[in-house]
Amino acid sequence: MRRYLIRRVAQLVPVLLGIALVTFLIVRLAPGDPAAMLVDTTLLSREELQRFRASLGLDAPWPVQFVSILKQLATGEIHSLRTGQPVLAMLAERLPITAVLLGGAIALSLLLGVPMGVLSARRPYSRLDNWLSIAALGGISLPGFWFGLVLMWVFAGILRVLPASGTGPATSLTYTVFDMAPYFVMPTIVLASGLLPPIMRYTRSSMLEALAQDYVRTARSKGLSESLVLYRHALRNALLPVVTVVGLLVPVLIGSTAVIESVFAMPGIGRLVVEAALNRDYPTIMTLNLLTAVAVLVSTLVVDLLYAVLDPRIELD
Amino acid sequence: MAERALDIAQAMPGARAERRGEWRRFAANPRALAGAVVLVALVASALLAPALAPYDPTEQRPGRVAEPPSAAHPMGTDNFGRDVLSRALWGGRVSQAIGLLSMAVSVVVGVVVGGLAGFYGRAVDGALMRLTETVVTFPTFFLLITLVAVFGARLPLLILAIGLTSWPITARVVRAEFLTLREREFVQAARALGAGGLRTMARHILPNVVPVIVVAATLRVAYVILVEAGLSYLGVGVPPPAASWGSMVAEGREYLFRAWWISFFPGLFIFLTVMTYNLVGDGLRDAFDPQRSAAAGAPRRMRA
Repeated sequence: MRRYLIRRVAQLVPVLLGIALVTFLIVRLAPGDPAAMLVDTTLLSREELQRFRASLGLDAPWPVQFVSILKQLATGEIHSLRTGQPVLAMLAERLPITAVLLGGAIALSLLLGVPMGVLSARRPYSRLDNWLSIAALGGISLPGFWFGLVLMWVFAGILRVLPASGTGPATSLTYTVFDMAPYFVMPTIVLASGLLPPIMRYTRSSMLEALAQDYVRTARSKGLSESLVLYRHALRNALLPVVTVVGLLVPVLIGSTAVIESVFAMPGIGRLVVEAALNRDYPTIMTLNLLTAVAVLVSTLVVDLLYAVLDPRIELD
Repeated sequence: MAERALDIAQAMPGARAERRGEWRRFAANPRALAGAVVLVALVASALLAPALAPYDPTEQRPGRVAEPPSAAHPMGTDNFGRDVLSRALWGGRVSQAIGLLSMAVSVVVGVVVGGLAGFYGRAVDGALMRLTETVVTFPTFFLLITLVAVFGARLPLLILAIGLTSWPITARVVRAEFLTLREREFVQAARALGAGGLRTMARHILPNVVPVIVVAATLRVAYVILVEAGLSYLGVGVPPPAASWGSMVAEGREYLFRAWWISFFPGLFIFLTVMTYNLVGDGLRDAFDPQRSAAAGAPRRMRA
């Protein structure tokens, strides 16, 4: 177990270096001077411009810049080109919103998706199964931003039961978690709409497989009630692949926060990525890309470990 | 936005069952058939947009701004008085073309990577699969936003970028097929007769992988159209003056509560297009591989 962990963590290093290099190259190969985004370069004399670029570290050769950025990243001393704020502080400020959205969407998808998958698997090819599978396909096909706008139009525009956007009432400066909760309802639903269908489909197919196993027949022949057979015997074993699906979809889910946070005007990580990219705030872009990659890699690792915990037959070494 | 990756990957092995009767099976599947009919209509409406669109999609009519749907404008007019239906029909050309081209890039890369990995195995396989894993674990949507934002929105760049970040699923599926096929007698025979690696792959293995590639490609179009729509919504997609469905939804956002139709209808086109590509893709998969059929109304015993 420990050896496995060490090996896995060691494998992360080249992947992360690769990602750092790719993002660095993208921003450095881009046309246009980042300095020009900050000041009107036509107003500066050549010496002033040179001094300004030097102060940003933009005059050094690329490899030097790359190493210095890595150093800044490692020590946390990396600052936004735009605001001068430390990037990690900007991140910390925005992380809770994205974390709540992601956590809520995963929980909601599991709470609804797993039972729906079980329901589908109980009578495969029944009318209910068919409708659920069409609904799942519909969920997969929904463009998140459009679904978000439609919800906003209906629930905030027509019915006026939910706030349209933001993360808290604009009228007061001090509000509680309870005041904030309604603002998270629609974004969470939209985020979950991409995750719930795959969870449902995987629960279904995995349940069908489990229900055909000998131990299920044995459980049935013992005269156990159907729900006991379904939930205690079949579902327990069927949940394993579902865990993997959630793990595999985390990168996709994180990616969709960019769109969803923009639709609902929520200052989270996804929105920060969009802002940083549009502002060519290179240090911020690099930090965000790298840290999301770390988050994703760690979550993949956790899923693999969880797998071994849930299924003793799996050996990691 | 969701990932069909897992579906394709799980469904594919053993897809070369019998070849006859695929179309019959496809046509007997009401869901797939309905999807195909709507999809053909959507593609045709994009192709025929110049003839079908009742108005010039760019003509602004200051006196007829944000009019609700009516007989003259079935989907209303937008904030510049442009006809939403005409714009959506023209936008379909942009969205569909980008979708198909990005899919082509994605499928070509996926087939080459997957084919080489599956055929040569060992170190080649190891290296290529590590690369594939890296691309999969990376939140590619962030990378796309970065890429398009810093290089500026340009169509070739957009197509390449979407294609180059969405190939891993195809690669995995194709690799699995190559792995099993390379052990088969007819491949061994070809090699024994002196056929080189490239020739064996192209002439003997690839034709047998075509169904898998077709299914993967169909589902990929659905995915890349969603990705492009998302980017265009954020303003880092299709560069103006061209407008894809995603950019039209974004244009209407400000007017959502006063003129919902400006955003609603272009988005509906995205949804229908993606849904029908998915329906057709699923239908093709079931038709190529009847064992795994999930077709509606086909009563079948549980798989043992």
